Amino acid sequence: MIGCAEFILSYDFTFEYLRRKYGDEAVVRYWQEAISVDSQRHARELIIPNGFDGMAEYWGHTLAEEEAGYTSARTENVFRIDMYACPSQGLLKERGQEHFADYCEHCMGWLEPLMDDAGFVIHHEHNHNCMCWWEIVPRGPGHPGPADSSCPTGRSRMSRPTRPGELAGQDDIRLKPGWDTGRIDRWTASERSN
Amino acid sequence: MAAPDFYLAINATFRWIHDNWGEAGLMDYWQALGREHYADVTERFRQGGMEAVRAYWQAFFDEEPGGDVSVERDGDTVTITVRTCPAIKHLCEHGREIMPLYCRHCQVVSAAMCEGAGISVDVQGGGGSCVQVFKKGCGA
Repeated sequence: MIGCAEFILSYDFTFEYLRRKYGDEAVVRYWQEAISVDSQRHARELIIPNGFDGMAEYWGHTLAEEEAGYTSARTENVFRIDMYACPSQGLLKERGQEHFADYCEHCMGWLEPLMDDAGFVIHHEHNHNCMCWWEIVPRGPGHPGPADSSCPTGRSRMSRPTRPGELAGQDDIRLKPGWDTGRIDRWTASERSN
Repeated sequence: MAAPDFYLAINATFRWIHDNWGEAGLMDYWQALGREHYADVTERFRQGGMEAVRAYWQAFFDEEPGGDVSVERDGDTVTITVRTCPAIKHLCEHGREIMPLYCRHCQVVSAAMCEGAGISVDVQGGGGSCVQVFKKGCGA
């Protein structure tokens, strides 16, 4: 049986299995179709109609269940999460397992399609060392509406994340020791930017 | 970190692979999991014999939330009696359509995991309760 207690380990294996057998495109489609649309439909049911309130309810449940180390903050226009102890990557590091080259990428892989459908874009960075931050903002005027046609990428006019500490204060992971110690992958308004 | 919502992802993963590459694709995935991902468990069984099999599954089901499962060893046989499968229970409680081949993964993954240790696997039942028998040296 594939259990939930060590699911993360088989999840990481699955990414690499799909990549080597069917190619990179299959991994991206797996995150979009199997995880974002099917597995995480409960997240969609909360977030698409309820926006930030749905996000607070979803992550309040799921991050507690996964025993994550995190803080969250929100304003009228931004929902922010600072993760200082990702339990999933922590388990992989504890076991010395790294089947897939960037396990962390799966979070954007399933959240970006969900937030796109809900009318939001994501600013995000992860440092491959159990730390990441997220800022989820309305896609533009008329939220939750269609993509902003005045933006060249069709994404957002709110294309700038907050400055370190601006929203989360001392909880901002970008101010913590250990944040800037490795390769940081970055998304701005849901577009990969490095 | 036993988050039962991960059962939702396991079910969705099986369905997606089956939808895209059919039953053969799903079998290949399960066999790869058993042979490759669980290679360390195979080695543990090969070295530790049936007591290692019993200990592995006892610890495994102790960590899975919501199940009613017993694991017993009688000589060269380990029997897992699943009265309430934690995965099927969680999927049902959350109104998820269970992928029709879901229960077969226990047979296929375990058989692939155990073949290198010379252990056979037979799973009878399904749909929320089953009996899984692991035997040493029986045609594995």
